[in-house]
Amino acid sequence: MSTDGAFQIASTDGLGPVMPPATNAIRQLRISKRQRPDRAILELDGELDLVSAPALEEAVLSVLRDGPAMVVLDLRAVSFIDSTGLKAVFSARSAVQERGRQFAVTQGSQQVEHLLQLTRLNVHLHTLVAPDEALA
Amino acid sequence: MRTAAGDRLERSDLRVALLVEAGAALSSSLDLTATMDRVARLTVPGLADLCVIDLCDDAGAISELAAASVDPELARQLEALRGRFPIDPSGEHPVARVIRSGQAELLPEMSSDLLRSFAQGSQHARFMLAHRYHSAVVAPLSARGRTLGALSTIRFAESESYEQDDLELAIELARRAALAIDNAQLFSELRSVEQRLEAILRNLAEAITVVDNHGRTVFANQAALELLGLGSPAELIDSQPGEIMARFLVLDEAGRELDLDSMPARRIFRGEQPTPLLVRNLVRATGEERWLMVRASPIADPESGRVLYAANVFEDVTGVKRAQLAEAFMAQASRVLASSMDYAETLQLIARLAAAQLADWCAVDILGESGELERVAVHHAEPQKLALAQLLDSSYRPTLDEAIGVPEVIRSGKARIYNDITGDALATYARDAEHLRMLREMDTRDVIIVPLAAPSRTLGAITLVSSSTSRRLGADDVDVAVRLGRRAGTAVESARLYTERTRIARVLQQALLPDSLPGIQGFEIAAAYRPAGELNEVGGDFYDVFKCGEQRWMLVIGDVCGKGPAAASITALARHTLRAAAMFDQRPSAMLHALHRALRQSDTETQMCTVCLVVVDPPGAVVPLTVALAGHPQPLLFGRDGKASPVGEPGTVLGVVDPIMLSEVQIDLHQGETLLLYTDGVSEAAPSDLIATLELADLCMDAPEMSVEHVLKRFESAAVESAGGRPRDDIALLGLRLANLTLG
Repeated sequence: MSTDGAFQIASTDGLGPVMPPATNAIRQLRISKRQRPDRAILELDGELDLVSAPALEEAVLSVLRDGPAMVVLDLRAVSFIDSTGLKAVFSARSAVQERGRQFAVTQGSQQVEHLLQLTRLNVHLHTLVAPDEALA
Repeated sequence: MRTAAGDRLERSDLRVALLVEAGAALSSSLDLTATMDRVARLTVPGLADLCVIDLCDDAGAISELAAASVDPELARQLEALRGRFPIDPSGEHPVARVIRSGQAELLPEMSSDLLRSFAQGSQHARFMLAHRYHSAVVAPLSARGRTLGALSTIRFAESESYEQDDLELAIELARRAALAIDNAQLFSELRSVEQRLEAILRNLAEAITVVDNHGRTVFANQAALELLGLGSPAELIDSQPGEIMARFLVLDEAGRELDLDSMPARRIFRGEQPTPLLVRNLVRATGEERWLMVRASPIADPESGRVLYAANVFEDVTGVKRAQLAEAFMAQASRVLASSMDYAETLQLIARLAAAQLADWCAVDILGESGELERVAVHHAEPQKLALAQLLDSSYRPTLDEAIGVPEVIRSGKARIYNDITGDALATYARDAEHLRMLREMDTRDVIIVPLAAPSRTLGAITLVSSSTSRRLGADDVDVAVRLGRRAGTAVESARLYTERTRIARVLQQALLPDSLPGIQGFEIAAAYRPAGELNEVGGDFYDVFKCGEQRWMLVIGDVCGKGPAAASITALARHTLRAAAMFDQRPSAMLHALHRALRQSDTETQMCTVCLVVVDPPGAVVPLTVALAGHPQPLLFGRDGKASPVGEPGTVLGVVDPIMLSEVQIDLHQGETLLLYTDGVSEAAPSDLIATLELADLCMDAPEMSVEHVLKRFESAAVESAGGRPRDDIALLGLRLANLTLG
């Protein structure tokens, strides 16, 4: 895909056939793709959690089909991440690295950074200040 | 022998008499033709041998209205002639000239040449010559500045020629006749306007009545008669004031009864300017309900300005109002249905709502698992009737094989309405005399039964009943009830599944947590588990307390990423792996490495788990604790000084990446100090943020005085509050306090 595209999911808490009451607050994650000569950038906007994590994995597999040298997850607009979201980021990292490509993320919100520090997963990520920045 | 003076006197008397008689004739009737016939005849023979009255219409055409002659045959002949040869309005006939000019003409002597000159054809000329027309006066019929026609008097050859005073008499007579004609025409126009107006009023879809200030109805159109349930206008007009209204129960929007004085028409007579009033009109006899928008306007006497009548316009807004009420009802019902997962409670609320808004009472029956009917909800507006309804159900609960009623609706899945249930029908339905007595006492007129329909099956039925004193149930109500049945059915099915899943999830969760905490000599210990909102998913949180070796204890708390069966299996793996690992190597970091390896080896996708592990060495005055964290929030140590501090160094979360880096931190637990381990999904606020909350600050102050269990409760509420009341994830808590040494 040569043009910028957008994946979008609208989801509710409590998936499954039984919808408990009062859990229908809609949270969204918007994923936009930007193509650069040396990398594919996925801009994440919204909440990365149990509900939206599958969309991220799908988006990563989709950009990998174009064969970019590097995939960058832009986490600056991620307002909230949970353990499932972290897991999705590391699944993305595995998928990218297994194909011999480079993987990086940008710094995220305070909550994202707190969780990365708490789990010490930050040491396993190439973290960029901006998605276009060259890898150190 | 007549003298000239006597002649004059006689003529003068004749004239006065003529005008008096004409006046009487003209005021006696509004039948124009008959009146003008009389006027024409009055002139014969005293004033004329032949008198003709012609009228011109709006288009200018002239036609004969009346003719009189000594010889009636002559008048008839002239009428026939005029019919065939009407006077040309623009021609030279004296009648046409007078109508055009508005000026009377005296023709004392008419020569045969003159007659021929204005004849309307040769036949007309022959007629005039044959009857030897001799002298004529033609006077205009003028009223309100318009010339309506002409009055012609003609004398034949044997009679005297007309003179000036004859002209004056003719003018006077014509003037009076013109007034009468004008009045008659006005009256006829008025009649026609009234008739048109009445025709419009009669055919309007809106019901219209006109009432006087005694409350008597003086007019009602067809729609009003239908609305009031009357056969004819006479029935209404003959009725006493209030007699008709007594047949109706008139309520305002809130259901309060309205008296006549608050109706717009009454207010008009009190000099007010009423705004339109929306009323709910119930026919007492039949329960038929209509919503009416009532407007009233005054009809005043144009001269005095006094209000003589008030016109009522009743607009039937039943359809609109019912639709609006149905929508409002469904919105309310939906809110009720979404408010709880306890379906018995929910259905009771629905029954209450339906009894208040749709019918007098409402019952909900559900098909039980073993195929029997179970009454899960019933409500009646009147408490005594509610008790009776309950007694009726418990004494005579329908069995599923019954041909009509709830069993039939459940079998067929179709809605039913029964209107005007008769005593005979009740007698047929009743099982025995007591049953019949109770059914009669319920005072049932209309019944609607609709299926309680889940998407795949009929779960039961909703019954709506109205009594003989309330609103009649109709097709609109069936529509609303069917929608209610579907909505409630779906909610019940969902609640049942939800309850079932919750039960399974609870059982499973319990299996993943220790049945009870072991008692540790010298310590106070407590645990708590708070599922996040929904109870139907197995959470990934776990805790454990177990002994390894003679005196050493392990406290474990952890959180497996995800929910549901997959998370549950990892939770079980984590607990058991840690217990097994402790048998070989009791260093916390070694145990956590063992779990990490187990997670990495698991052949499913990435499994992530956070753990906080605390090794508790034998109790004394001070107990050494070893804390290791793997991606888990730091436990809090509540000191005796009213402060809480996080302990331990962050370590890598387990199962995600290699290598992991873990630190062991040793601290001392003093008497009265409490160590609190918790999960909050590792995702909520940082511990420092939590501590910043007021709740927690208070908790720190109070902690030394409270039981550990109480501390956990307070912490839980602080955590819930910091998550805005709805934590995204389960919360597990484990608290350990070194008891104060007691003397003795």
